[in-house]
Amino acid sequence: MIRKEPRLYYRVFVWSGTLRLFHWTLAFSTFILVLTGIYIHYPPITTKWAEFKPQYIMATLRYWHFCAGYFFICALLVRFYLFFAGNQYERPTDFLPINKRNLQSLVHNIKFYLYLTDEHECRMGHTILAGTIYFILFICGVIMGLTGLYLLYPETPMVARMGHDLFGTPQQARLIHYLLNWFFIFFIMVHLYIAIWNDFKAPDAIISGAFSGSKMMPADLECPIEELEKIPFEK
Amino acid sequence: MSNNDHTKDFVGGGVSRRTFLKGCALAAATLGLSPDVVPKMVEAAMSPKRPPVVWLHFQECTGCSESLLRSARPDIATLILDLISLDYHETLMAAAGKQAEENLRNAIKKNTGKFICVVEGGIPTKDGGIYCKIGGRTALDIVTEVAPRAKMVIAIGTCAAFGGVQAAKPNPTGAVGVQDIVKGQTIINIPGCPPNPENFLATVVQILTYGRPPELDELGRPKFAYGRKIHDHCERRPHFDEGRFVECFGDPGHKKGYCLYKVGCKGPVTYSNCSVERFCNVGAWPVGAGHGCIGCTEPGFWDTMMPIYKHLPGIYIPLGGGIREQAEKIGEVAVGGAAAVIAAHAAVGVGKKIFSSVKGSSQKKDDEK
Ligand code: HEM
Ligand code: SF4
Repeated sequence: MIRKEPRLYYRVFVWSGTLRLFHWTLAFSTFILVLTGIYIHYPPITTKWAEFKPQYIMATLRYWHFCAGYFFICALLVRFYLFFAGNQYERPTDFLPINKRNLQSLVHNIKFYLYLTDEHECRMGHTILAGTIYFILFICGVIMGLTGLYLLYPETPMVARMGHDLFGTPQQARLIHYLLNWFFIFFIMVHLYIAIWNDFKAPDAIISGAFSGSKMMPADLECPIEELEKIPFEK
Repeated sequence: MSNNDHTKDFVGGGVSRRTFLKGCALAAATLGLSPDVVPKMVEAAMSPKRPPVVWLHFQECTGCSESLLRSARPDIATLILDLISLDYHETLMAAAGKQAEENLRNAIKKNTGKFICVVEGGIPTKDGGIYCKIGGRTALDIVTEVAPRAKMVIAIGTCAAFGGVQAAKPNPTGAVGVQDIVKGQTIINIPGCPPNPENFLATVVQILTYGRPPELDELGRPKFAYGRKIHDHCERRPHFDEGRFVECFGDPGHKKGYCLYKVGCKGPVTYSNCSVERFCNVGAWPVGAGHGCIGCTEPGFWDTMMPIYKHLPGIYIPLGGGIREQAEKIGEVAVGGAAAVIAAHAAVGVGKKIFSSVKGSSQKKDDEK
């Protein structure tokens, strides 16, 4: 398909302020969690200078890990709330492959990412592929949060019982916590790459959308978005 | 205590009042009770009505009994044996064969609902439990007969509590702990490989004094002994917090007493009072001696705590004929894989772009012509 440029675009408001707040809280907390988590898992040799000056490096990084962990859990709670109370695009029904239309769209997404088609599907919300992966990420985040709380408060009877029923011993929970850590690292890498790649390939400007909350939609496209604010925008 | 009445001491001869007082004070300290209760404990312990105890041995190495009896502190064993009336204990009793089995039957009949049943060792359940038989009967049979008739059950050692080493994968005999078989009975788990005799003593004294078991955690372990992580009471903990770790055994850090986290210490996930109670009356314990904790008081000990010198377990990857990979490898694969996929994806994209622009420009040239 040859795109005709210039083309008329609408700036469409998609992502609510709450969702963007969630996104950036999750992003920063995950970043800190991954870095401090890797230190906790394998503290590199700092022994040479650790002898001379008290520095509490493990204690400090664990403290950051727990603080970031709380931000992470709060972010997940906000996202959970938005599953039900968010706008049309923030609800799971919009981005999970649960009906025929979404399934077809999923197949199309996969083709697009495999360079099998150049036709970019301009969707208002998440693409189905992205939405599905975000949903898996959310589940993994919940597991991270629960195993993390279990490792943090193993002596609190309620937490201990929850952890025991769900994950077994703290050692098993720690293994799950550690393995999923790599899923998050994998996700961060792929997510950043895909966002940049999309910025090259597609016109909807998703990176700036993560800040502004709006997406660019070609005006010649049929958009079922009467109720939303449309701002004509000349490119 | 002269040498010639040694046996008498072990099977419940006299213990001096001084030993009694010392033992009860020790038990009170282990339980975290105030010294005010010591007289009460002494009174209970001195009472002529000693609780009958039946001690069952199943799939085990007798290490729990051995560590109790052959500790550097024989007065503990003597004291325990003096506090209770040991009616049946395969390692200690004089009776053998038919007579021994007779003793067991009588003890149960006479004291139904009153005796304490101590179980040492795991219980095999596969193939009808034929992998452990005593006097022609399976362990499964014996425990289901004896345990429900007891006042309460003390599972001593990790094998009796959670199955222990013979429950390690693939668990050929289907070994389990007492709590997986006996339901509706008070079961006190005192895991450890072997457990500290002082914890057993304190539990027994608590039962004698108050007639009820100590407060238990969700795994049935007394909270006074298993309520805290080893890591939280470890003398090497300041080194952990400061980021000073032993890199390998025998290095300068090891000689200076640094934290053993990087050489596989399981202290952060193991619940026990080893670091506080210590062993053998000489203030020794594994981490103090320079070896990491191996996590022997936890369920799934062995499977989840191996390898000993890594702090996370190896995980089984079904590919490549079943290689046992270290958890760390997963990380390398995940990140390496992601990087490779991204690079390939970007390369294809750029390649396609170049290809189409070359094609596009040659088309333009054609048009110009
Ligand atoms: C994306 C989210 C997270 C990542 C990537 C992450 C990563 C890690 C890693 C790699 C470890 C080291 C595991 C080991 O080798 O022992 C760790 C430990 C831990 N994490 Fe997290 N974590 C996350 C979320 C959380 C959350 C939400 C909490 C709870 C507040 C938490 C609490 C802990 C605790 C308590 C430990 C054990 C620290 C220790 O053993 O000293 N984590 N985390
Ligand atoms: S030696 Fe083990 S228990 Fe002690 S501080 Fe280090 S990791 Fe924790």
